[in-house]
Amino acid sequence: MIFEKRTERIFLAIFFVIALCIPLFLEDNSFFVGKATTILILAVFVMSLDFLVGRVGLVTLGHALFYGLGGYLFVIVTPEYEAVNFWIYAMYIMGISALVALVVGVVVLRTSGIYFIMITLAISQMAYYFFFDSLEFGGNDGLFIFMKPETSIFGLNFLNLDNPTHFYYLSLLAVLVTLLAIKIILRSRFGRIVEASRLNPERTEALGYNIFAFRLISYIIGSTLAAYAGLLFALQYGYVNPQFMTWEMSGTALVMSILGGMGTIYGAILGTITYEGLQYFFEHMSEDWMLFMGGAIILMVLLLRKGLAGYLEKLLEK
Amino acid sequence: MSTELFFVQLINGLQYGLLLFLIASGLTLVFGVMGILNLAHGSMYMVGAYLVWYFVAVTGSFTVSAILSAVIALGLGIVIERVLIQRLYNRNHLDQVLLTIGMIFVFNSLQSILWGNDPYGVAVPDALSGSVPFTDNSSYPVYRIFAAFICIAIAAALYFVVSKTRLGMLIRAGESNREMVEALGVNIKSLYTIVFAIGVMLAAVSGIIAAPMRSIVPGMGESVLITCFVVVVIGGMGSIKGAFVGALLVGVISTFAAVLMPTMSNMIIYIFMILVLLVKPQGLFAK
Repeated sequence: MIFEKRTERIFLAIFFVIALCIPLFLEDNSFFVGKATTILILAVFVMSLDFLVGRVGLVTLGHALFYGLGGYLFVIVTPEYEAVNFWIYAMYIMGISALVALVVGVVVLRTSGIYFIMITLAISQMAYYFFFDSLEFGGNDGLFIFMKPETSIFGLNFLNLDNPTHFYYLSLLAVLVTLLAIKIILRSRFGRIVEASRLNPERTEALGYNIFAFRLISYIIGSTLAAYAGLLFALQYGYVNPQFMTWEMSGTALVMSILGGMGTIYGAILGTITYEGLQYFFEHMSEDWMLFMGGAIILMVLLLRKGLAGYLEKLLEK
Repeated sequence: MSTELFFVQLINGLQYGLLLFLIASGLTLVFGVMGILNLAHGSMYMVGAYLVWYFVAVTGSFTVSAILSAVIALGLGIVIERVLIQRLYNRNHLDQVLLTIGMIFVFNSLQSILWGNDPYGVAVPDALSGSVPFTDNSSYPVYRIFAAFICIAIAAALYFVVSKTRLGMLIRAGESNREMVEALGVNIKSLYTIVFAIGVMLAAVSGIIAAPMRSIVPGMGESVLITCFVVVVIGGMGSIKGAFVGALLVGVISTFAAVLMPTMSNMIIYIFMILVLLVKPQGLFAK
């Protein structure tokens, strides 16, 4: 069983049952289906960050770089007025993102600790200003996606991305695949070595493993997953702009993953839903929602040492 | 670029760099001594600027307002340390990041509740409102020169306190070995409170000094925070000397970049920081 903890299994079972049913209840309310889709896409992004920060030990404050990159690459590599095949181009974009992550990874992994946080922040800020100041990429307004891709596989076409419900299920599939992929990686030999190098780099190195290579591959995996999330987000809203890449975006994702319970992966889903839920609630309650949001974040840091997942585990595990 | 323009830009760059140093010094001091990464440091800069704007509107005197604002900031620093930061000394950096991000939300929101979202400006005090003739057809505002000297004075004072006084000795001792200092009977808790409050006050004082030169707008704290990170990382986290050198470098480089290559100017300091880290992964003056 790749889901070792009882809490994890219970949470994921409830989550997927509810998530599968949501569009059935909200069929005629496309706003809420859209909102739920966004949360699922963010959950993919936050899970990829949780993998890097909580399990590999790479605390990045520049993860949004790849989120934005996924969106920008789609507009850059596809023809403007022609519906391309989603699956082919998604792979293509993830491939390019992986290459970018390789180059960025080689640079940033030379540093560690607090300097790693700062250099990832600097590189994503650089990319932010690159797109912000560029005329050919639309500057601050960003770029628009005029044609949504079609999603046929071997001639079979059962998803229409213009339909919010279909898009919702595509995003739910992304959550499931990302969750399984990260879990399988973590359980593999590769994952064990990666975790060992987080817990004790000297010993892992002494055992003959090249920590740098393991971290680099993990960085590429996490970044590529983030790019896929960014691609979905751009397709959902039909545009991409430099706001995708702000450090606030990276910071918010980090908040969501710490709230959920760092390194638990399923906690990333929990943290994303809680954060977005709270924000939605406070936004509708008061104009000064940030005050309540900030207060809620502060209280949760002080009261929940291991995030929401840690709290649930305390309740449910024997 | 003519020699005249070159010198004007150089002075602009140095003056901007000195202001950056003042903001960054608090960040690096708090990190160096207490190991706390305070993301809300930029918010304290914003608080200083808004407070001085508010008090100038009420009292009409810049000097009185500046002193009042600085004292309030010091008090705010003590309260924040006692109520929130103190609970996180035994936690990891991520919890500190989360807490201080929460604080950014709260301060930004309070700013918008108390003072609204319109941009404000503070008039340059009368005594400093002139300008010094530079060459035949250019001059330099007195207030900017004054601001630069204040920054230098505070830098010198900080250097004196840290390296020559008893408090500075304790700060340096606490930096290298917290338990030992505690064992020698020093109350490290109050030492930390003092250091954190000084850090907050340094950020607020920078905001006060910057207020007549820059517009006071929502979000001003975050933009300055990221630049400060660049400064302290280039200099080496925790090193005040490093922050000084880093700030001047960043100030001069970004000022010249804005003139010479406007389309790339925003990116230059990040490129510079990455290059520095590639050569020296711990910054220029790593400890």
